Amino acid sequence: MQERLDALLTSARAELAAAADDAALEQWRVTHLGRRSVLTGLLRSVGSLPREERREAGQAANAARRELEEALEARQTELRRGADGAQVDVTMPGYPVRLGSLHPLTRTLREIRRVLAPLGFRAVSGPEVEWDRYNFELLNIPADHPARDMWDTFHIDDKARPGELLLRTHTSPVQARVMEQIRPPVRVIVPGKVYRYEDRDASHEAEFMQVEGLAIDKHITMADLRGTLTYFVRAMFGPDRELRIRASYFPFTEPSAEAEMSCHACNGDGCPVCGGTGWIEILGSGMVHPKVLADVGYDPDVYQGFAFGMGVERIAMLKYGVTDIRSFYRNDLRFLRQLR
Amino acid sequence: MRVPFEWLCELTGIEASVDDVATRLTNAGFEVGAIHRAGEHWDRIVVGEVVRIDPHPNADRLNLPTVNTGSEEVQVVCGAWNFEAGDRIAFAPAGARLWDPYADEPVLKELKPTRIRGVVSRGMLCSTKELGISDDHEGILVLDPDAPLGRPLAEALGGEVLEFELKANRPDALSVLGIAREAAALYGTPVRSPIPDDRAGEHGPSQPVQLQIDDPSLCARYSAALVHDVKVGESPAWIRDRLEQAGVRPISTIVDATNYVMLELGQPLHAFDWDTVRGGFIGVRTPRPGERLVTLDGQDRELTPETLCIVDAEGPVALAGVMGGLDTEVTDTTATVLLESATFDPVSIRRTAHRLNLRSEASRRFEKGLPPELTVLALRRCVQLIEEIGAGRGEFLTADAYPEPSDPTPVSLEFDRIERLMGVAYDRGEVRQALSSLEFGLDEDGDELRVTPPFWRRDMTAPADVVEEVARLVGYERIPDTLPTGQVMDLAPGEIDERDDEARDIMAGLGFAECVTYALTSEARMARLVPPDLLDAPPDSPLGDADAWAEVRETAMNDAGRSLTDRLLPLDREPLRLRNPLSMDENVLRLTGLGTMLETLRANRRHADRDLLLFDYQPSFLARDGDLPEEPNFLTAVIGERVSADRWNETVTVELPFVRGVVDELLSRSGVPAEATSHDDLQHPTFASGASAAVAYRGRLLAAYGEVDAEVAEAFDLDERSWALLVDMPAVREASAGPPRFSAWSEYPSALRDLAIVVDGDVTQADVSDAIVRAGRPLLQSARLFDEYRGEQIPPGKRSLAYALSYAAPDRTLTDKQADRAHNRVVRALQHRLGAELRG
Ligand SMILES: [Zn+2]
Repeated sequence: MQERLDALLTSARAELAAAADDAALEQWRVTHLGRRSVLTGLLRSVGSLPREERREAGQAANAARRELEEALEARQTELRRGADGAQVDVTMPGYPVRLGSLHPLTRTLREIRRVLAPLGFRAVSGPEVEWDRYNFELLNIPADHPARDMWDTFHIDDKARPGELLLRTHTSPVQARVMEQIRPPVRVIVPGKVYRYEDRDASHEAEFMQVEGLAIDKHITMADLRGTLTYFVRAMFGPDRELRIRASYFPFTEPSAEAEMSCHACNGDGCPVCGGTGWIEILGSGMVHPKVLADVGYDPDVYQGFAFGMGVERIAMLKYGVTDIRSFYRNDLRFLRQLR
Repeated sequence: MRVPFEWLCELTGIEASVDDVATRLTNAGFEVGAIHRAGEHWDRIVVGEVVRIDPHPNADRLNLPTVNTGSEEVQVVCGAWNFEAGDRIAFAPAGARLWDPYADEPVLKELKPTRIRGVVSRGMLCSTKELGISDDHEGILVLDPDAPLGRPLAEALGGEVLEFELKANRPDALSVLGIAREAAALYGTPVRSPIPDDRAGEHGPSQPVQLQIDDPSLCARYSAALVHDVKVGESPAWIRDRLEQAGVRPISTIVDATNYVMLELGQPLHAFDWDTVRGGFIGVRTPRPGERLVTLDGQDRELTPETLCIVDAEGPVALAGVMGGLDTEVTDTTATVLLESATFDPVSIRRTAHRLNLRSEASRRFEKGLPPELTVLALRRCVQLIEEIGAGRGEFLTADAYPEPSDPTPVSLEFDRIERLMGVAYDRGEVRQALSSLEFGLDEDGDELRVTPPFWRRDMTAPADVVEEVARLVGYERIPDTLPTGQVMDLAPGEIDERDDEARDIMAGLGFAECVTYALTSEARMARLVPPDLLDAPPDSPLGDADAWAEVRETAMNDAGRSLTDRLLPLDREPLRLRNPLSMDENVLRLTGLGTMLETLRANRRHADRDLLLFDYQPSFLARDGDLPEEPNFLTAVIGERVSADRWNETVTVELPFVRGVVDELLSRSGVPAEATSHDDLQHPTFASGASAAVAYRGRLLAAYGEVDAEVAEAFDLDERSWALLVDMPAVREASAGPPRFSAWSEYPSALRDLAIVVDGDVTQADVSDAIVRAGRPLLQSARLFDEYRGEQIPPGKRSLAYALSYAAPDRTLTDKQADRAHNRVVRALQHRLGAELRG
C-alpha cells in the first residue's frame, strides 16, 4: 500500500510541476483527486483489507490525499505569482486615476449649507451687480452715511443711471430681496461672491465669498442667534468649540454682535493661528434692525429675527490651514489637488 | 482713535489695569485694536540734560552735545538742531534699543557706539519716532524742564495708549471723554468731566461779533469766543505729550489747545486771527459764483456751489469743518483769536472732504454728526485751557447762533420688550442701573419705560437701541444658547439650484479640477481670444486700451457662427466697466471666463505636462438696458494636450472626440435627450476651424467646444495644442427632459453582428448612425461605433466606419435567420441611401 502511495505521489508531483495554467491544474485535479482517480480507488479498497491493516492504510491514503490537495493549492498560488515565479510587488503605485476635484471654496460652501440645512435654512442666491438701493439703502445705510466707509465699493460706469449700479459689497442685499418677496417665516442663507475696492494682500481680496444667514419670525431672539452660531461653529470645527459674542455695530442690525470661537488649533491656549489670544473672530451678526424690516414691509412690532454673515475664505483658511487668501483664486493645480 | 491710558484714568478714576479696561471696553462694543506701550523698550533710556553744544570739527551739519545722564557726562554726535543747552532730552546710551526711523516696517535696532566723521558718539538724543511715540522724525524730543534728571524715560514719560477701532454710529466716542463715560459706566465710577463751570456774567463780551447762519440745515449752531493777549509759542510738555501719544503733532499753543479739546471732548475747534477777519463778521454759507479761497495748504481753490464756507464781511475765510484759510491763520504775531465751535451738516462736510480729498481728524468728527449742545462746552474748556497755559485771556462765549434748538427725543419701550428681543430676562433694577450709568434720563409708567438720552447720544432712536444699551452694559455673557423654533418657510425666491452642484460633481467625475476665478478682467484679456491677424491693432498694445475691444467687435465678429455663439462667447458685446477699477488689468466684468481660464491653463502648464483639465463655473455678465445685467452661469473648461492613459507613463493626445465625450456625458447627465441635439461645425475665430463644434438643441446653442485656434493659444503663451469647452448651463436646464426614465430591455439573448462600410468623405457619422437606427427598427437594440479608418486600403477621399450592432426581440430568442434578415435590411439601407459599400 505505502509503496503504491509513494509512487503515486512522486508521479503526481512531477505532473503538477509541469501544469502551467488553470486548465492543466483542473485536469490534474480530476486525474489525481477526482472520483475515478487511483487514489480514490485506493481509499475505497481500504475496506477490503484485513481488519488489522485497515487503520494504517486508511491513515496513509488520507495523508496522501491531504498532501496532494496542499500541493495543488501551493501550485495555484505559485502560478498566480507570474510565469517567472517572481512575486507581484504590491508596493507598486496604482495607475493614475483621472478623477477631478471640487474647489475648496465650493466644498466649504457646501459644508456650511449642509450644516445649516437641518435648522431649516434654505440656500438662495442674488445678483452680484446690484442697485445701490439694495446694497445700501434698504439696509439702513443711506447715501452719505459715514457707515458707507465700512465698505469700499466698486461702482459700475453707467451713463444712464450714474451711481446706481455697483458690485455688491456683501451678500446682505439678498436679505431685502427675499423679504420683499415672501412673508415670514424666513430662514435663508445666501452664499455668493462679493467685491471690495481694496488692495490685495495675504488677508485681503478684492473678490471673495460670503455666506449670509437670515431668520425672521415672530419670536426669534438673540439667544436663538447665539444658539445657532454655537451649533454652527461646533458642527464646522468640532464639538469642543466655545463661542463668545461681544457688542458691535452694523447699520442693519440692532443689537449687533461680533462672534469669536475658541481656537480649534490650540483649544484656546494661544497659538499663531489665533494670534496668541485663544480666540478667533469668525463672523458678524445681530438682530435685524427694525428699519430694515419696516422698509421691506414687515411690521417691526410683530416680526423680529437675526442675521449673520461670514467670509467663506476665512472659514476655509482655518479649516485647511491656508495662510494666503489669494491662493484660492490662483487655481494652481498643486493647491487644488492638496485640498481636494 | 488713540487714547492715552493715563488721560482716560484721569477722567474716570479707574484703577484697573490697562488690559482689563481694554477687554471690558472691547466686549461692550468699543473695540481696542491694539495697546501701544510706549515705554516697553526703553529699558536703558533716561532723562538727560544737554550741558553744552560744541561744533563738529569736520561737519557743519552735525553738532556735539554733551549730555549729563545723571551719573556721567557723555558726548554724542547729533544731526538735529532743535534744542539748546539746558534742555532735558531722552538720552539713549550705547546698548539701548530704538526703532529704526528709516525702515519701512517697524524694526528695533540696538544702538552701538559709532564714529561719525571722526568723532565717537557714545549714545543718542532720541526723536519721537525712534522712541516709537509718533512718526515724527524731524528733530529730537525735548522734554518738560521738570523731567527728573537720570530717571528712566519710561517713568518720566512712558504710558500705554489704547488704539480704538470705532464704529460709525458713535460720534461721541471719538473723544477721551466719550470713552471715559463708557468706561465709567462699566466700572461704576463717576465721570470727572474736564468741562469748567460757566462763568458767564463774570465779564461780558469785550466787543460784538456778528454771526449769521444762512441755512440752519447746513449749520445748526455756530458759537464763538474771543481770546485776547494771545501768546503763540510752544505748549507745555504735558500737552505736547498727550497730543503726541494721541497721534496729533504739536504745533503751537493756540492750535494745540484746540486740538487738545477736540481729542478730549470730540468737538473740532478752529482758531482765526481775529484782526485778519474783515468787518467783525462771521457768516456760514455756500459760495457765490466766482468766490475763491487760498487754504492753509497754500492751494488757491475755486469753490464749487455746494462747498459750505465760513465767510467774513468780504468773502470766504475757511472751508467749514474741512480746512482753514491761509489769510486768517493764527501766526506768531497774532494778538487776538476767535475760536470757532460749530455744528455743521455731516453730509455736506463728508462730501466736501471726499471731493477735495481733505479728510482730517476734524472732518471725520463732523461727518458722524455732532450734537449742537457741545459747541459752547468745548469753547469753555478751550478758553480755560488757554488761560491755564498762559497763552491768552479769553471769554467763555462771545457770540452764539443757534437758530433752531432741538432736544433729544425720548424713546419709550415696554420692559418686557428687552426679554422678547434678547431671549433672556433682565430685572428692572438692572435695566435702570445700566441706563442711568450712561446718564440716560428714566421715567417709568407701569410697564413702560421712557428713556431720555443725554445730548451726546443722538443715536438712540428706537426701542432696539435702548435694548442694546442694556444688553451690552450687563454683558453679552448673559445671553444663553437656544435654537430657533417654529414653522418651516416656503420655497424662497432665487433658491440655489441643486443641479449646479450636480454639474460640478459631473465635471469633477470626468477628471476636471474646479477653479474659482475672478469676475473682473480686462478688455485686453478678452480681446486676446481673437487671432491677432484678424485685428488691425493687436490688443496688447498698449495693455488695457479700450479701443482694442472696439476693434474686436468691429472687425472680427462678422464670421459665420457669430450669431450662434452670441451669448456664450459674445466677443462683440460691450462689457460692464468699472468707474473706479483697482487697475486696468481688471477694469471690466467678464463676458466670458475663457480668457482667464486659458491663463490658468498656462500657469499650470509651467509645472505639469499632462492631465491639465480645469473648469470654472461662475457667472458672466451680459448688460441689459434699464435693468441689472444678466448673470448666466456658464461652464468653462480647458484641456491641455495630453492626458494619462493606461499604466504609469502612458498618455494619449486629446482629440475632438475626447472633448465630445465630456460634452455628451455632461449633457446627458443633465437630462438633455441626445437624439434631440445636433453637433455642427463651429465657425468662431477663437476656435480652430475643422476641429471645433457647436451643440444645439432645437436650434438653441447649448455648448461650443474644440481646439483653441493656434494663434489664440500663442497669444496666451500656450506651447501646446489646447482645447476648450463652453456650456450655457441655463440653456441646458431648459433643454433638460428632467430625471431619466426607465425603459425595459429584452431578457432574451442578443444576436451580435459587426458591420464595416466604406462611405464618401462627405457622409457624416451622424448620417450613418441615423440610417442604421432607422433601418434596424424594431429589433436593433444598439449600434456602437468601434472604428474609423482612412488610408491605403480604401479608395482616396473615402473612409471606413465599423459598428457593432446588437439585435434582440422583447418576447423570444431570435433565430440566426431572423437576426440576419434584420441585419441585411440595415446593410441594404446603407447601400441605397448613402452609397455605402460593405467592406470585406
Ligand atoms: Zn490658537
